Amino acid sequence: MKTATIQNGVKAASPVMVSYIALGMACGVVLYDAGISIFGIGLMSVLVYAGAAQFLAASMLVLGASIPSVILMVFFLNLRHVLMSASLSSFVKDRSFGFISLFSHVLTDESYGINYTKSREGLWTTDEAMMTSLSTYGTWVLSTIIGGAIGSQFQVNTTIMNFALIAMFLCMMVQQFISREHMIAGLVSAGVTVLLMVLFKHNIALVIATIIASFAGYGLEVRKERRKDRKKDKEIQSDLKGGESHE
Amino acid sequence: MNSYWTLTLGMAVVTYLPRLLPMLLLSKKEISPSFSRWMTYIPVSIFSALVASDIFFWNGSFNINPAINIKLIPSVLVFFIAYKTKSLLWSMIIGLVGITLLWIFL
Repeated sequence: MKTATIQNGVKAASPVMVSYIALGMACGVVLYDAGISIFGIGLMSVLVYAGAAQFLAASMLVLGASIPSVILMVFFLNLRHVLMSASLSSFVKDRSFGFISLFSHVLTDESYGINYTKSREGLWTTDEAMMTSLSTYGTWVLSTIIGGAIGSQFQVNTTIMNFALIAMFLCMMVQQFISREHMIAGLVSAGVTVLLMVLFKHNIALVIATIIASFAGYGLEVRKERRKDRKKDKEIQSDLKGGESHE
Repeated sequence: MNSYWTLTLGMAVVTYLPRLLPMLLLSKKEISPSFSRWMTYIPVSIFSALVASDIFFWNGSFNINPAINIKLIPSVLVFFIAYKTKSLLWSMIIGLVGITLLWIFL
């Protein structure tokens, strides 16, 4: 790989690298708090490499959730990568299987954001894209290890540390309020979660609430569209009638 | 530590497959529009479920008395900060300051 390629890739990644340092360290602290060793944190970052999913795992483990329910939630959370991955398939179609295996592993919301925008502009090679993704990957792995080491040195107040997570999830939730239907889905999910938690006292409540709320939101969106279509049809019809009466 | 390996490898598999398979096998056009629209509702539902399963409970039982469950007031604060700034870092800072103050004074 040429030096210029490496430089371009790292330069494009640099703003994301800065935010990964802060978030990665926080993630390391909470994972250590959830009972995972520093080595375990590093290995998890290498093998999983998904910030939101790792935060989710820390949060659910602290609440005493079962491993299958954590994995199920991680699966749902990471389904969103399906679209991003598919939209980069034409960009990497001439590359080897090995390249795609690694390039897809280091796909995140942020690296996708950079690489998709740059590749649309045209002047972005797959090597540069790989370099961008690898620099954010390395930054994340190192930062979570450092976070774990920090967590091991200081006794942190669990209520307070755990609230850092909640604050982050609250913000991620608000960032997803992209339409009225998405807001309603969020409300439904919260309501169903609380209800099921009270009834069953089990974290499977989160999985069930997620499924119900996502279908509720989607259902509302479909209904709204149908209404709009019907309204349009009516308008066209009344326009036609109006036209006739003038004649 | 057996559970660590189950957790990490399980998470790795369910994270890697949605990243690898579409890039290898699909193009964007081949994904059904209803599936991709439904998918946009998953993150908001997950984050909301995570938040709700935590902030409305104190010592394991449902509690919405802000004087006992000290997570409630900072949560409202963080919600507005998040709404205004959309910044993860700011939300985290304000949240930490808020909960620490309440922890000390209550």
